Amino acid sequence: MANAPLARALLPLLLSTCAAQDFQQRGFLETSATIYPQAAPNDSGHIIGESLLRYEASYKVRPWLRLSGAIDASFDTHHQVERSLHLDWQDRSLRRPALSAREFKVTISRGKFTAELGKQFIRWGKADILNPTDRFAPKDFLTVTDAGFLPITAARLIYDTGADSLDLVWQPRFTPSRTPLLNERWTVLPDSITGIPLRDLGSEFPGRSSFGARWNHIGAGYEFSASFFDGFNSLPLFRGSSSGSAESVDVQRFYPALRLYGADAAIPLHWFTVKTEAAYYTSPDKQQDEYVIYVIQFERQIKELSIVAGYAGDAVTSHTPTLQFSPELGFARAILAHAQYTIDSNRSVAMDLAVRQNGQGSWLRSTYSQTFGQHWRATIGVAWIRGDPADFLGQYHRNSYGILAVRYSF
Amino acid sequence: MSKKFLHAVLLLLPAAQAQDARQIVAESQKRAQSQSQQYEGTLEVIGSANKVSIKHWIFDRFGSFGSSKAILRFAAPPEVKGVALLIVNHPDRASDQWMWIPSLERDRRVSVQDRSTRFFGTDFSFEDLEERDVNQFDYRLLGEETVDGQPCWKIESKPKESKSSQYTSVVLVIRQDIYLAIQIENYTKDKLIRRIHYSDIQQSDSIWTGRTVEVFDATRNSRTVLKLEKLRYNIPLKDADFTIEALRRG
Repeated sequence: MANAPLARALLPLLLSTCAAQDFQQRGFLETSATIYPQAAPNDSGHIIGESLLRYEASYKVRPWLRLSGAIDASFDTHHQVERSLHLDWQDRSLRRPALSAREFKVTISRGKFTAELGKQFIRWGKADILNPTDRFAPKDFLTVTDAGFLPITAARLIYDTGADSLDLVWQPRFTPSRTPLLNERWTVLPDSITGIPLRDLGSEFPGRSSFGARWNHIGAGYEFSASFFDGFNSLPLFRGSSSGSAESVDVQRFYPALRLYGADAAIPLHWFTVKTEAAYYTSPDKQQDEYVIYVIQFERQIKELSIVAGYAGDAVTSHTPTLQFSPELGFARAILAHAQYTIDSNRSVAMDLAVRQNGQGSWLRSTYSQTFGQHWRATIGVAWIRGDPADFLGQYHRNSYGILAVRYSF
Repeated sequence: MSKKFLHAVLLLLPAAQAQDARQIVAESQKRAQSQSQQYEGTLEVIGSANKVSIKHWIFDRFGSFGSSKAILRFAAPPEVKGVALLIVNHPDRASDQWMWIPSLERDRRVSVQDRSTRFFGTDFSFEDLEERDVNQFDYRLLGEETVDGQPCWKIESKPKESKSSQYTSVVLVIRQDIYLAIQIENYTKDKLIRRIHYSDIQQSDSIWTGRTVEVFDATRNSRTVLKLEKLRYNIPLKDADFTIEALRRG
C-alpha cells in the first residue's frame, strides 16, 4: 500500500491529538489565613496559615475506560499538617498528610453498568444541610465547622437505567474521619482533666470490610432512594485510661460496628423543593448509641438568591455510655440554613447558619467572594460561634474566626 | 359579498391566522429537528460596565424537543471546569435538572421553581436552556417584516395554562426562506426581559443554525454572546450517556 508510510508517520500525530482531547486536568493553589481573636485553654495560637495545592487529571483511554488521579500537597503553620513528604494513600494519620493521593481510580462503563475501582469519593443522600445516609464519606474534622471529605478505597458497581439506579459499594479497608487534634482548639477537654497531660495512643482500626447498597428511583415529580450500610462508623469512640504513673491519661480511638438503614427523597413543588433524608443507626456490637437522624429541608431560588433551610433532628433509641466524637448528632436538633446571593458573574456573598433548638449553641458564617480575571479568586469571611460549653456547638465559643483566602485555579 | 359572509370571514380570520402561525412554528421546529446535537460553546459575558468574562462549555443533546436530554459541561474558566448540568425535558411538565459540582463530589438536584435565575453568571436563564415544544404555546401572527435583510414572519406565542414560564409572551422572528427563528424576544407583562438574536447562519448536516447567539438581558443591561463551534447533528449518542451516573463520571 503506497500510503502506508505516510499513514504510519501520521498515526502518532493522530494519536497525540486524540490523547489531548481525552486528557483533562485542573487544579488550584489556595493560601489562607485564619485569625482566632480568642485563645483556647489548650491552644494559644491566634493565626493559622495554610496552603493547599490540588492537581486532578483524567484520561479516557477508550470510550468505556477512564483513569483518574488527584494529588493534594498541603502545608500549614500550626502543625496540623505532617512535615514528612511521603505520599499518603491510607488517610489514617491523625494529622493531615503533606502529600496525599486524593483520588486514583479506574472507571469502566458499559451500557447501563459503571464500575469504579480504587481510591474515590462516594457521596450518598439528597439533602444539603446534613447527610445522615452518606456513610462512605469520612471527613477531615481538624476544623470542625469547615470539614472536608476524605476519599475511600473501594470497588463500586452502578446499574443506571435513567429512572432507576442500583449502587453497590465494597470497601475492603476502613478509612476513619480525621478528628481534631488533642492539643488544638477544636478539641475541648472537660474541666475535670484540665492540666492533666494526655497521651494520644492513636487509633485501633477495624479489620473487616464494609458494604453498602443504594437504590434510587426518579419518578414524575419526585425522586427517592433507599440505602443500606454494614460496616463501621468513621467517627470514633474514645477509650481513656490512666497511665502507670497516674500523672497522665492515655487516649485511644476505636471505631464501633455500624449497620444503617436510610432513605432520602426530593420533591419539587410549586414554590419550593423539599428534600428529606433519614437514617437509622444501629450498633451490632452494642458499643455505641442507636439512633435516628432525620433532615427536612426547603430549597428555593429567587432570581440570584438561593436559599436552603431546614431542620435536623434525632431520636436515640438505645443509649450506651461512651465518649464519642459525633458532629452528626452535634448538628442535629438544630435549624440549619445556607443562602447565597450572586451579585454578578464575578462576585457572590454566602451565609451558613446553625442554631440548636435549645438555643445553647449557634454558628454563623458569612463570606464574600470575588474573582479577578480567569484564574484568581479572593474570599473573605467571618464565623461567629456562641453557646453553652455543654453544647456541641457551644463548646467552641472561643473559636470564632475571620478568614482570608486567595485561590489560583488552573 | 353579503354581510353574512363578511361576518363569517371576520369570525374565522383569527383562527386561520393562529393556525398559520402555529404551522410556521411547527415547520420551523420540524426543520430544526435532529436526533442529537453536539457543540463547543464559547461565551462572552459582557456586563453593564463592559466588563467581559469568558466561559467555555461542551453541549451534548440526545432526542429532540419535548423529550430531549442534554448535558452541558464547563471547560473554562478553570474555577468552574468540570461543573456539569443534566437537563431531562418532559413534554408535559417542567424539566428535571441536576448539577454535578466536582468540589462537592456529588450531584445536586436543581430547584426549578424560579427558572428566571441566570445560569452560572451568563445572561441565559435556566428556562432559556430548555427546548420549547410547539404544543406548549398558543400562537398569533403579528405580521411580516425584514430583519437582518431577510423577509421574516413575526409571531407572538403565549404559554398555555399548563406551561409554567417566567415570560408572559414571546415574539418570534422566523425567516421565511429557511423557517429559522433568528430572534426571540421574551416579555413579562409587555416589558422586554431578554432578547435572543441568532446570526452567522450556516447549514450544518442539512440543518440551518445560527452559529452566534446573542442574549441581551434588558433588566440588567448586560449581554452574553455564545459562539457554537464544532457543531454536529445526528451523531451516534446513547440514552445511557444522559443519566445522573453519566453526569458524574464525565
